Amino acid sequence: MDKLLTVSMSPHAHGRDTTSKLMLGVVIALLPAWAASVWFFGWGALYVPVLSVLFSVIFEYLIARYLLKKAPSIRDGSAVVTGLLLAFTLPVNIPVWILAIGTLVAIGVGKMSFGGLGTNPFNPALVGRVFLFISFPVQMTSWPLPKGFATADAVTGATPLGLLKEGMIQGEHVADMVKELPTNYDMFMGHMGGSMGEVAALALLLGFLYLLWRRIITWHIPVTILTTVFLFSGLMWLINPVDNASPVFHLLSGGLMLGAIFMATDYVTSPMTPRGMVWYGVGIGLLTVIIRRWGAYPEGVQFAILIMNAFVPLINMYVKPKRFGEVKKNG
Amino acid sequence: MSQWKNFSKGLIVENAVFVQVLGMCPTLGTTTSAYNGLGMGLATTFVLLMSNIVVSMVRNFIPDKVRIPAFIVIIASFVTVVQLTMQAYAPALYKELGLFIPLIVVNCLVLGRAEAFASKNKVWSAAIDGLGMGLGFTLALFMLGSVREILGAGSWMGFKFIQGDGMLLFVLAPGAFLALAYLISIMNKVSKKKA
Amino acid sequence: MAKKESTFLNMFLALTLVTLVSSAILGYVYELTKEPIAQAKAERQNAALRNVLPEYNNDPVKEMYKKAVDGDTLYFFPARKDSALVGIAVETFSPKGFGGMIRLMVGFLPDGTINKIAVLEHNETPGLGDKMEASKSDFSLQFDGKNPKTFKLSVKKDGGDVDAITASTISSRAFCDAVERAYKNLDLTKGGAQ
Repeated sequence: MDKLLTVSMSPHAHGRDTTSKLMLGVVIALLPAWAASVWFFGWGALYVPVLSVLFSVIFEYLIARYLLKKAPSIRDGSAVVTGLLLAFTLPVNIPVWILAIGTLVAIGVGKMSFGGLGTNPFNPALVGRVFLFISFPVQMTSWPLPKGFATADAVTGATPLGLLKEGMIQGEHVADMVKELPTNYDMFMGHMGGSMGEVAALALLLGFLYLLWRRIITWHIPVTILTTVFLFSGLMWLINPVDNASPVFHLLSGGLMLGAIFMATDYVTSPMTPRGMVWYGVGIGLLTVIIRRWGAYPEGVQFAILIMNAFVPLINMYVKPKRFGEVKKNG
Repeated sequence: MSQWKNFSKGLIVENAVFVQVLGMCPTLGTTTSAYNGLGMGLATTFVLLMSNIVVSMVRNFIPDKVRIPAFIVIIASFVTVVQLTMQAYAPALYKELGLFIPLIVVNCLVLGRAEAFASKNKVWSAAIDGLGMGLGFTLALFMLGSVREILGAGSWMGFKFIQGDGMLLFVLAPGAFLALAYLISIMNKVSKKKA
Repeated sequence: MAKKESTFLNMFLALTLVTLVSSAILGYVYELTKEPIAQAKAERQNAALRNVLPEYNNDPVKEMYKKAVDGDTLYFFPARKDSALVGIAVETFSPKGFGGMIRLMVGFLPDGTINKIAVLEHNETPGLGDKMEASKSDFSLQFDGKNPKTFKLSVKKDGGDVDAITASTISSRAFCDAVERAYKNLDLTKGGAQ
């Protein structure tokens, strides 16, 4: 019995977890999804993440060394995770120069401008992704469809969410578009157009289990996000099944799984207490569905997480852990 | 204070945008291109110069309690003059800047100079101050517009030097904040080195 | 000169004088710029018309007639050279754009062939749908010289003859919709009979 007490929120106890160890855990958890994307998209899915990690580490080193003039922090591995996560949100056919700009923005603007790891209010990988998404809409919305290692030219097409949004703007009923959209089973297994890391829900869930098993993250954030999305979109679907997509479709499509499991749980940019995490998760879930349903962009997870990132200091201020020995005040 | 110092303080040391962070609405809203930034800057400079002169001229005639409404009427008149003139002789620029021209009235820079400087100084000094501040504002808008146009559209003053589009974020609203933030940080770095 | 005291009379006089002088100056400037402003406005409309129509020497704005369709209005501008009809410009619209309403000026020749199209107003996404502007891509040029009798005004995805803007099918569809609306409501005999 070497562990009698589990100490959370530990100002005194010294854990064995170091930043680099945690980051290694995240990388391992991403491996199933990476393997799945290589299976679906071919060699591109192999080298884009590698390049992205390489760029991220180089930019982090250069900025820390020559602009901030402090000891380069690349050894903690956070740049590796940022690079990997950013790559997972991009289409595999992304031109290399756009990838380079994306990593520069993710590391330079998203992280180092605020002083480096631990002081950045927004998830750096998402900052990079949103920057690219708005800046290069053509390249960022030509998603390759899964083709494996076949040598034929990559076929590009819209994501399921893109098809949905396009149809809604044309005034079509969602119920009539079902035949154009992939089935739930296909989406679960990854047979749909999309970015590298978001296509296979199954592989992402495997990563989630690993993260839980290694206690790198707790269940609160991912589970509240997914539950909120399911309940909210389910409610809308029950009220009007003709004009709304089913809750299962919402859960399986787009970057929801990737965002909920890997992006929203970033230590630096998420609340500290379990209760705060629940508030944060509910906010992300609601915003995601609202943006998907009524926003100008087909996908809302990225914006929802960034918006809720901005609320994290506020949540931390209002949702404090109970102090030891605190007694409920009597009126 | 020498007149040269009075003039040059508005350009860098007390630059309205980079140092005082005044007049953010037109700064962020109109600088989608270098040309638009320049146009907005010059329009503001004209209003600033004229309102400073007139406010300084009438400063002893206006009782303290009604000075703000009086200044605003003077500023609003010059803004309307600019608006009508631009509509008549530069309709293309007017179409671009549109809504932001009437908003010069509420640019805190203009009222700020009237209140803080022109109402306490002689006409000649007030004119120099207005010109310096206005040109500093113009310089900042022109720089911001240039950065956004070069990065966002791949062109400068309408001259295109790449195929296709640039990084579109920079011609959109978030790009304005981003570009302004980095320009201010560069200016801070440079001016700190000098001091 | 000492500063005036803030007595009621002083305040009243100062404000009255300031507003009086201001309004006098504004009135004068307004009179001065009234003509050029009207001219600039007319010039803008004429420039759009000249852009899409073949050479003419009448005043199409004077002969303009309207037609209310689909909850909005189409404007027709017949152009003549020495009283013979050389074309009709139609100010048309489509509510189906990605960012809402799109307004175009489409110039037709007397046989119904599209001469040229100019975009008047749109709210499409920069970098995607805004490529409908002639200054941003060649999308709108593919309509020039095509007769909708033989050239199907819908994107290839929907079985038409129009190459859509990359990744902007919705904007391209709306553009076609607007042109189609102009063509459908175009009465070439009416333009000629007037």
